[in-house]
Amino acid sequence: MLNKMLYNTVLSQTLSPCGKYLVAGNTYGDLAVFDLDRILNPVLELLSVEYNKPKHIHSIDSKKQICSLVSTEKFLIIGTVNEICGWDWKAVVSVKLLKPVWSIKIPSQTFLDYNDVNCMWLSQDSEKLYAGCGDNNVYVFNLEDGSLISTYKGHNNFIHSIHGKNQQIISAGEDGLVMLWDTRSGKSHNKLEPHTNNKVSRPDIGKWIGSAALGDDWIVCGGGPRLSLWHLRSLDAVTVFDIPDNGIHVSFFHDDCVFAGGTSKHFYQMSYSGEVRVELPVSATTIYSAVLRTEYSTLLSLAGSSPEIDLCTSLNYKDQVLHFR
Amino acid sequence: MGKEEVTAVKKRRKLNTSTSNDGTKSVPVDVYKRVVEFEEAEAHLRPADKDAAFFNKTCQDIRQLFKEIAELKTKETLEAKEKINAKRVEASLLLVALKKLNRLEKVRTRAGRDALHKEKQRVDSTHLLLQNLLYEADHLNKEVTKCLQFKSKDEEIDLVPLEEFYKNAPPDIIRSEATKADEHQLQLARLEWELRQRRELSEACNELISSKERVAAAIAAARSRLDALAPHLKDVLKSTKPLQECLALRLDEKRDEARAASLLPASLFLLFKNANAYSDILGSKVISVGVCGDEDEARRHDQNNVENDIISSNESDSDQENNDEDQQTKKKRHHRTKNVSKEDKAEAKIKRVFKKHPLNVQVSVKAEDGTALNLILSYLINLKIIVVKFTVSLPKPVTGVSAADVLNGHSILNELYPGDTGDDSPHPATSYLLKNAGISESFSHFIPEIGRPYVWAQRMCGIDFMTSELNEQSVRRAVEPCPNLSVATVENFIMTLKKRLKCRVKLMHELQDLESGKISPPKGSLPPSMRLAGSLTQWQSVGWPEYSQAPSTAFLVTEGLVSANDLLYRAIITRQSAKLVALVALRSDYPKSVPIFSLTLHWNGTHHAGINDDIRDIERVINTEIDLEERKHCTLSTQITKLLACLDILLETSDSPEFPPDKVILHPVRGRNRSKPYKFVNQGVGVFVHH
Repeated sequence: MLNKMLYNTVLSQTLSPCGKYLVAGNTYGDLAVFDLDRILNPVLELLSVEYNKPKHIHSIDSKKQICSLVSTEKFLIIGTVNEICGWDWKAVVSVKLLKPVWSIKIPSQTFLDYNDVNCMWLSQDSEKLYAGCGDNNVYVFNLEDGSLISTYKGHNNFIHSIHGKNQQIISAGEDGLVMLWDTRSGKSHNKLEPHTNNKVSRPDIGKWIGSAALGDDWIVCGGGPRLSLWHLRSLDAVTVFDIPDNGIHVSFFHDDCVFAGGTSKHFYQMSYSGEVRVELPVSATTIYSAVLRTEYSTLLSLAGSSPEIDLCTSLNYKDQVLHFR
Repeated sequence: MGKEEVTAVKKRRKLNTSTSNDGTKSVPVDVYKRVVEFEEAEAHLRPADKDAAFFNKTCQDIRQLFKEIAELKTKETLEAKEKINAKRVEASLLLVALKKLNRLEKVRTRAGRDALHKEKQRVDSTHLLLQNLLYEADHLNKEVTKCLQFKSKDEEIDLVPLEEFYKNAPPDIIRSEATKADEHQLQLARLEWELRQRRELSEACNELISSKERVAAAIAAARSRLDALAPHLKDVLKSTKPLQECLALRLDEKRDEARAASLLPASLFLLFKNANAYSDILGSKVISVGVCGDEDEARRHDQNNVENDIISSNESDSDQENNDEDQQTKKKRHHRTKNVSKEDKAEAKIKRVFKKHPLNVQVSVKAEDGTALNLILSYLINLKIIVVKFTVSLPKPVTGVSAADVLNGHSILNELYPGDTGDDSPHPATSYLLKNAGISESFSHFIPEIGRPYVWAQRMCGIDFMTSELNEQSVRRAVEPCPNLSVATVENFIMTLKKRLKCRVKLMHELQDLESGKISPPKGSLPPSMRLAGSLTQWQSVGWPEYSQAPSTAFLVTEGLVSANDLLYRAIITRQSAKLVALVALRSDYPKSVPIFSLTLHWNGTHHAGINDDIRDIERVINTEIDLEERKHCTLSTQITKLLACLDILLETSDSPEFPPDKVILHPVRGRNRSKPYKFVNQGVGVFVHH
């Protein structure tokens, strides 16, 4: 029998607030903590075969899949099945991960015995946590006391991704809808169905939208339909990115570039006009998670359906491969 | 002067008488005698020097006379002539006197001479005496020294030391007073004692020799009796044969076996002994053992070995010889083609290096259904390792190509113990020996001819290569077979091989079924009522190149999870337009280890785990998600059934019109990775849920 880690799938990653650790969570309920200092600035004498393996691999108690990760100053917030748990960062980087400091249970629905917290997004002031779940709802939690503030209902199928900017939340779902929510009112004021646009739709892959992100005036989204750039107010498809992929799962804006990846051999960086600036080859069959930071040093980490995580210290080329084993 | 005249007369008479001796003999003799006496006395009496002076004077007178005569002669007177005559007469008388003087002188000389002679003689005789005495003295001296130097033999004899002598010898020999006083006596006594002792000892020795001879004669007699006995015993044995047959005892065969076994080399003998023991316990239905080969040759070989053991560099010498011989034969045959002799030389070298002991042990392990694996283990004398050749005997022929392969001898024995493929010699010195003999190919090259050197075979014969070092001296030294190792290994081996045979037979049956497209009803979690729309359309064994070059197996190969040693197959499952190609790798110890599937789907394009997450997920389910319950029954068939179910789910959840949904599925897609429900839960009709 093969080792199940050979078929590892990482659904989410996040960086520690101090910038020294990269945390990745997979579908087996394992959390890998990588020591970025040791990996990016290796000391030759201490170099061993294990240096690109995680410093620790913790297993959360329920052994349910880790669907999403968010980090605050004090806590690592993990969204698993039916609940959201928070761990102290100190416990995460230590040898033993104890019980979570706090946990929030998703109000369970009767027709579903499992409810994945597929995606989470932290508000600017780190007080509110928006969680897009498998029961087709977006829940807003207050991080001070863990209480539910509001629920955004509207999707017909589970939610793939959630992103927020300027009092707006955008959510993408398996039903093919991209919905825009106003955080103050808690209502959806707009929605988008890319699969109805025949420039964009790809019926053999599906109508699901894997990822949607908000820019200043723009929305980028993709999934079954092609990755495309839409104007925020007019909701017109301005650019359709022509990249060879079989489904987009990750997309975001950064510095006038659109970063996107999914079931493809590469992770793309493109300009708003659609030209491809950088193609990064990836080890995974499908990228489900990409983390970018520019504060301490440039770091782009790509993970997905593979036991390997690609680490780039420059946005132009792949630097290292970490092993989640 | 008157005397002179007398003497002169006498002289004349003497002269005359010398001529006529007749009657006057006595008288002249007398006279002669008297004259002689007289003359001698005269000579004696007259002093010599006066005669000398007289002589001188006479001479002077004569001279004077002559002078006067001469003067007178000149005068020539008659007076002168008378004077001359007178002078002449005087002169003549003087001459006579001279004559007398002369005579006297002669006598005197003669007397002197005689005296001298006498003295001389006396001196000579005393001289002689002196010499004699000197000689004698010398001689005596020599004799004395010789006597003194004489080492009598008695000094060389080791005598009994003095104290012991005084202690042991009887009193009549000791004679203590005499011996204490006189050393010579002491010596004599000791010698006597010595002599006596030695005589006694020699008598004793003779007695012992005679007794020894008697005993030797007795032994010879006994031996001859025993030899005479041997044919009698043989007769007795022969006569027991009918009795043995009657009682069904295999004593004769056992004895033959034992005799053959005694000629086996040490390691094979260990194996034979232990395997025989197990055969007796477990019964010959499970394992049977035998010794085959040429016994006479084995005996000859043993004798040769004993002689050659003394020469330590046996191999290299004979190698040299062989080379030289071949050189010569090559020269002889130079008019023939050279290629022949070169090949012959290489052949001969190879044959010599890989020479097997003439006897080998045959072990046959049987499974319950009658399938048997026959192993022939032989010992390579020069390389000092065991090689195994094998045949498989099946109760009924196997249909199906891949199924038959599974029961091929090497496939059964491959990796019986982890890592033991029998591809190369486990003896660290083998490559050195081969190079030494000038053979350039590696040992693996010769495996098809001589057999496989499995490590378990070495251990069963008690040869353990873990402890042997590699250096030139130890190459010659044999690795000693260890009996304990052999015992432990034989038991383990028999059990392992039986299990392996059993599993292989089951696998063979399974493969037979699969080849004909039949999937035997699984004892797995799927109920038989579940309709699986797909079907197995092909089952074939594939080779390593094809397996390793397929894109779907890339990561398995790079991770080293599959190797060319495993059994590789290709299964094709079809459902309408969708074709799923599964490359299956079975390890040698199936079913202990689960087969590994690598999938490629041909439907709307080619998909495999490297490019499609859905296929990757199915692979994950098939290869890794096997819980403990399923492990016990997990076989190829169960996994293929699961694979069929997964394919159905995948196709039916793909929203394609070709595959209408048939299974009961609550939620077709879950999570950001959009995984499909492959797990079957036996509730009601049976639902497929996500994990």
